[in-house]
Amino acid sequence: MTKASSHIGEVIIEARDIVKRFGGALAVENVSLAVREGEIHAVVGENGAGKSTLMRILAGIIEQDSGQVVMNGTVLETGAKNSLDAGIALVHQELSLVPEMTVAENIMLGYAPTRVGFTKSQELNAIATSALDEIGVSVDVNERISRLSVALRQFVEIARAVARKPKVLILDEPTATLTPAETDYLLDMLQRLAKNGMAIIYISHRIPEVFRICDSVTIVRDGQRVMESSIEKTTPEQIVDQMVGRELKLDLQTKRTAAAGDVVLSAQGIRAPGVEGIDLEVRAGEIVGLGGLVGAGRTELVRAIIGADNRTAGRVTITREGKTVTLTSYQSAVRNGVAYVPEERRTDGLALGMTVAENITLTNRKELSRYGVQTRSKIAKFSQDLADKVGLRPPEIRREAGQYSGGNQQKIVIAKWLGRRPDFIVLDEPTRGVDVGAKAEIHRLVKELADAGTAVLVVSSDLPELLELSDVIHVVRDGKITGTLHGAEASEKSVMSLAAGEKMVDA
Amino acid sequence: MAKETLTEVITVADSDTSKTTVAPKERSIVGWIAENGIFVFTALLIVVALVFVDGFASWVNITDVFHRAAPIGIVAVGMTFVVISGNYLDLSVVAQVATSAVILIAVSNSYGIPLAMLAALLAAAVFGVVNGVAVGYFKANAVIVTLATTYIGLGLLRLFSGGSIFFGPQDGLIREFGLGKLGAVPYSAVVLVLMTLVLAFVLNRTNFGFLIRSFGVNESATRLGGTNTALVVIGAFLVTALAAMVAGWVLAAFSNTAVSAMSSGYDFRALAAIIVGGTSVFGGKGSVLRTLLGVIFVSVLTNILVLSGITFGYQQMALGVLIVAAVAIDALSRKAGKR
Repeated sequence: MTKASSHIGEVIIEARDIVKRFGGALAVENVSLAVREGEIHAVVGENGAGKSTLMRILAGIIEQDSGQVVMNGTVLETGAKNSLDAGIALVHQELSLVPEMTVAENIMLGYAPTRVGFTKSQELNAIATSALDEIGVSVDVNERISRLSVALRQFVEIARAVARKPKVLILDEPTATLTPAETDYLLDMLQRLAKNGMAIIYISHRIPEVFRICDSVTIVRDGQRVMESSIEKTTPEQIVDQMVGRELKLDLQTKRTAAAGDVVLSAQGIRAPGVEGIDLEVRAGEIVGLGGLVGAGRTELVRAIIGADNRTAGRVTITREGKTVTLTSYQSAVRNGVAYVPEERRTDGLALGMTVAENITLTNRKELSRYGVQTRSKIAKFSQDLADKVGLRPPEIRREAGQYSGGNQQKIVIAKWLGRRPDFIVLDEPTRGVDVGAKAEIHRLVKELADAGTAVLVVSSDLPELLELSDVIHVVRDGKITGTLHGAEASEKSVMSLAAGEKMVDA
Repeated sequence: MAKETLTEVITVADSDTSKTTVAPKERSIVGWIAENGIFVFTALLIVVALVFVDGFASWVNITDVFHRAAPIGIVAVGMTFVVISGNYLDLSVVAQVATSAVILIAVSNSYGIPLAMLAALLAAAVFGVVNGVAVGYFKANAVIVTLATTYIGLGLLRLFSGGSIFFGPQDGLIREFGLGKLGAVPYSAVVLVLMTLVLAFVLNRTNFGFLIRSFGVNESATRLGGTNTALVVIGAFLVTALAAMVAGWVLAAFSNTAVSAMSSGYDFRALAAIIVGGTSVFGGKGSVLRTLLGVIFVSVLTNILVLSGITFGYQQMALGVLIVAAVAIDALSRKAGKR
């Protein structure tokens, strides 16, 4: 935790009294921020607090209603190109790479070196390679993005920002999709960049990361800056209190004392692209966790089991009330009591342009209609009950799902499946990009489901979450289960050593 | 690594006091026009026509507007299903309307009206299923598929008819329907209104209609909700085909003739009405009632141009400009709505 702060120089970028409204609501309210050369400055806050909006204003992507962005003493005009030219680069929260193009092409996208309109590919590759070297990642620059793991894509995204030789690098939750080992790597890399004089603005939910690498921290809540401090003068507890703005207490990490029942889901010899023959069983009332590195094949495995993607081999059965059914398609899975909370909530989980009630109706049409005609009164009551049950805030079922923050959106996804009272539920990264409060509530819902006798399968790259929820953890590597950990055998260390195997992470 | 557990073991003591930020719906002028424009503009246009355009306010003229608008309108309210499902459009309505009209006249001449209607229904089902299976099941592009089925359909029709025009008998049920009125309103307009009401009910209140909208907003989420999405798309094309069939009957009854070229331009005109009505070409957003208003707007505008002695070339251009404007408003309002 000792930090050499000798390399920190003058203030290079400054936000002055930034205000931004969306419609009537204030997204950012009079926020100021100053970051020095060589400094890593954390911006923390719950989802929806206004962090991302502030960063997009700094990067010139959206325009503030009032206030200024000052770079090296000069006021910047809004415009993504202005900001890039001034030396501000933003690494987006969502990956924005073109999957069909190569690593080099993606890194140089938008300003590839050309001669009379033709790309100079040698020069392009050279610049891309040097950007990758700078962040210490070795990957073939001619490889297509679609063939890379999610983690490597994240690093390519960073290389793309670094290739612009920025003076200020903004990263919006770069570790959300990374495993601990990859995160370690990224954090070391950022410290190296800062030592060379780059100013880094680092957005994260993860407080340990902030304490590890950051020099100072700004906390944003409900669009306002509630605290700014150098890292030495604050504590994790204080940051969490300020972030959430409500009283928190430490949970004693209550383990459920579940007595697992009969086998509900049985999958034998599952093969699919990225899945190399896996057997798996989940019992009633049991939470089975799938651990492993990003790209190990966990998502592919669960999707193959439930039939969301085709499997090339294997047999899946589900047993309910003594009757065993073989699942032949995703639709037959859903009909037979399977629920699926997908990894990509915004693209696969919800119809963002539809209301909460409509999203909930999707999976519960039979109960909510007669002769194919929807019964409005039933829909309203049914959806309201579920919205209340999952703790949706505000619990307004006529609002569009897209208006809610990430944590609340995830609750809507869970609500629509709860309505079916599933026998087997798969949750893939159930709390990714979700704030601390919503995360605790989602954990509570998952445990309640298991307590009510549902067989639960959880995929998570968040080790503490995996350990907290799971009764049994299977660790997946290269499409195979490399180990199974029961109860006390499971620890962050034991999961990671099985997940990484002998060879360490590529990146 | 031990510190990492810190945030994770924290749970909310009193979650009810927490405040959650919800992004408000974006309000902008373009957004307002996209939302309400069609109601205002249609009303304005009719007022302008009544006050300033000679000959518009006669019952004969308005009946004529309805007669012309009805078949295109019936096609448009049906095709709204395909557009809302996010599959752009069904070009083959051109072939479908003509097929239905030719079958009605030609078959009824020899075998009677009930059999003719049955044959037309069969043809419509074939169109709907072929388009729907290609787009919904095989994931082919709707524009290409329906362009192909247009050509196949028109080709078959030309082979069947030998390029000749079919005439209905001078009296009989078809003729009576084609020229008849309910009070002062021609039957064709009554059919248009009935079709609009029925399809609006299907789209807004039934599970099938809900799935069409849900599919248009997010295909992947709809599939992962356990829906057979191929059936949803087939359904959308079937609704369009059935509407085109009814439009063919109305058209044939009104003119008492049928020929394979009688419905050329219906694809574009129906799409124009849908888009001008404010149904989004990106899918998910829109309504059948909006399409009806779009039909009225386009028909009244065309009538004004005709009455003002503006030539067909300019009329075509006006329609094109109108569509560009409507699509631009749709796109701009989406952009404004995004953060």
